[in-house]
Amino acid sequence: MTATTLAAEYVDVRDTRIWLARGGAGPPLLYLPDGDTDAADPALPLLTGDFRVYRPDHPGFGRSGDDPAADSVLDLAFRYVDLLDALGLDRVCLAGLSLGGWIAAQVAVLAPERVAKLVLADPAGLRPAGPAPDMFTLDPAELAALVNHEPQVRAAAIAAARAMTDDPERLARYLRNRAALAHLAWNPYLHDPKLAGRLHRIACPVLLIWGAHDGLLPPETARAWRAALPEARLELVEHAGHRPQAEQPAAFAALVREFLT
Amino acid sequence: MKIFGFHLMPYQGLPAGHLAGTDSSWVTLSNAVFDPALGHALYQRYLDELIAYDRAGFDGICVNEHHQSPYGMMPSPNVIAGILVPQTTCKIAILGNALPLRDHPLRVAEEVAMLDVISGGRIISGFVRGIGAEYHSFGMDPSVSRDRFYEAHDLIVAAWTRPGPFEWYGKHYKLRYVNPWPRPLQQPHPPIWSPSQGSGETVDWAARNRYTYLQTYSDIGTVRRVFDGVRAAADGYGYTLPPEQLGWALPVFVADTDAAAEAVALPALDTLFNKLMRMPKDLFFPAGYTSAASAARILASKGGLGSGDADVRALADRGYAVIGSPDTVRCKLEDYRQELGFGCLCPAFQFGSLGHDDFTASLGLFARKVMPALRARPT
Repeated sequence: MTATTLAAEYVDVRDTRIWLARGGAGPPLLYLPDGDTDAADPALPLLTGDFRVYRPDHPGFGRSGDDPAADSVLDLAFRYVDLLDALGLDRVCLAGLSLGGWIAAQVAVLAPERVAKLVLADPAGLRPAGPAPDMFTLDPAELAALVNHEPQVRAAAIAAARAMTDDPERLARYLRNRAALAHLAWNPYLHDPKLAGRLHRIACPVLLIWGAHDGLLPPETARAWRAALPEARLELVEHAGHRPQAEQPAAFAALVREFLT
Repeated sequence: MKIFGFHLMPYQGLPAGHLAGTDSSWVTLSNAVFDPALGHALYQRYLDELIAYDRAGFDGICVNEHHQSPYGMMPSPNVIAGILVPQTTCKIAILGNALPLRDHPLRVAEEVAMLDVISGGRIISGFVRGIGAEYHSFGMDPSVSRDRFYEAHDLIVAAWTRPGPFEWYGKHYKLRYVNPWPRPLQQPHPPIWSPSQGSGETVDWAARNRYTYLQTYSDIGTVRRVFDGVRAAADGYGYTLPPEQLGWALPVFVADTDAAAEAVALPALDTLFNKLMRMPKDLFFPAGYTSAASAARILASKGGLGSGDADVRALADRGYAVIGSPDTVRCKLEDYRQELGFGCLCPAFQFGSLGHDDFTASLGLFARKVMPALRARPT
């Protein structure tokens, strides 16, 4: 297994220009990121040795264009089914992180025949359990402190968040991502009350990964996922908050690889 | 010059030190501390103060809406306007209804039309987006605030002016029947005002529609820049902006001497700006509420309104408020009027922690010693 660099390109899907990085060799893996498209994901290069990875910026986020018709995660899920068509991918492994997990679950509900296996890491989509701050009231540094757990990672993330105002392009992407996320997830907060009643349509094996110290979507939220998906396997990742892929990339990648292969 | 008295109806019963340890007096400050008995007394007093504007000979009274904060006890300006209508003869400017926060703009069309018909055509209908914190208060997606505002406005004006019933299938509002009763008395509809802090989009929108533009809470440099912008936008739309289409709203306090005015007004301004307006930036400017460029500027800025540590004397010096003796206030407002070319002034004589006696004395001095001179000159 050798890590390869991802090559980025734009793919036009109906009215939307989607920024898409791809690379690696193996079965296709559509890898849907969280809402902060700039956040580092050191687990991703660890997967390209075993999978042909497709990692987009969501429509309306990051480097992708706007999808004027997208007002909900369900709308984005339709667009990702269109993307699979555009890429000629009949059936894929699908992984999603946080917002990407919500979208991935929605794709698997919408088009179960297109998803061979599903990985959801700290997914949004069901109502967060337990007390958790409202992320939309937090500034970038406060948000970085909330989603990261390991002291070193967290300190670096807070510093990077504070430095963001010195980087106009990074700041512009952050603000656009935040507005796009608000449009999808302001109310109901980070979830869709109808999703739980639709998850039974998912036909493939599901792996739930949760950072054991997720401060944004507390791990107790996994209970609701397992109630709706009783066959799903749940793996808690120790020493990680909301972003286990960033805080424990090796453990995260190992879980994903072992489940998908 | 037209003079409209503003009033924010602040809740004046917060226990001393109550805000210590919190960074917000909006949205999350528990309403458990609100004392309804005190609220009752304050409403009686504030209604008297609003009516005092009419008795002082003002052209009108301004009411507005704010939510989930001791900043103001007027979540429904239409309710307060309805109380004022039978007790006054002046105009009543609702500044304004926060359109995107309403689930149903036709409610606004109906309520304002009711007030207009009942009052015999004395209603001015302001339309605003509501401040950022209020998108938290109502669970309303701030990223579509401006779109919803435009469409709600278009729907309300259509409901007032087009014979119903007609259909409306917009992006945000979908109606098989638009046909509100009553229709407004003023034709084609009540005057529409656009209160704002000066975003380029709002300036353009107000000028394009030939609405009265009203600037709120700003330093004098911003007021100058924005008013120039409104005039330039009007020029661009092919007309010369009349001064009465430019308004300025700000706290005003008059006492016998400058020192006496400062002694009373500065602590009240401190309450207004540093206690009642305290909120973190992400509450003030939620995701998508402003353009990305504005949001980037806001995030990069330090301090300012909302931070709770503004120097209120400096704010007053910079034009956020006008306070002083009758001569001082008259000269400042005259100078500002000549320099800035506005024809409508909306002074708030009640702000922050001001007591009723101070309000009454200040308003009386203004009405006797300041207003006649402002009114004497053509605008």
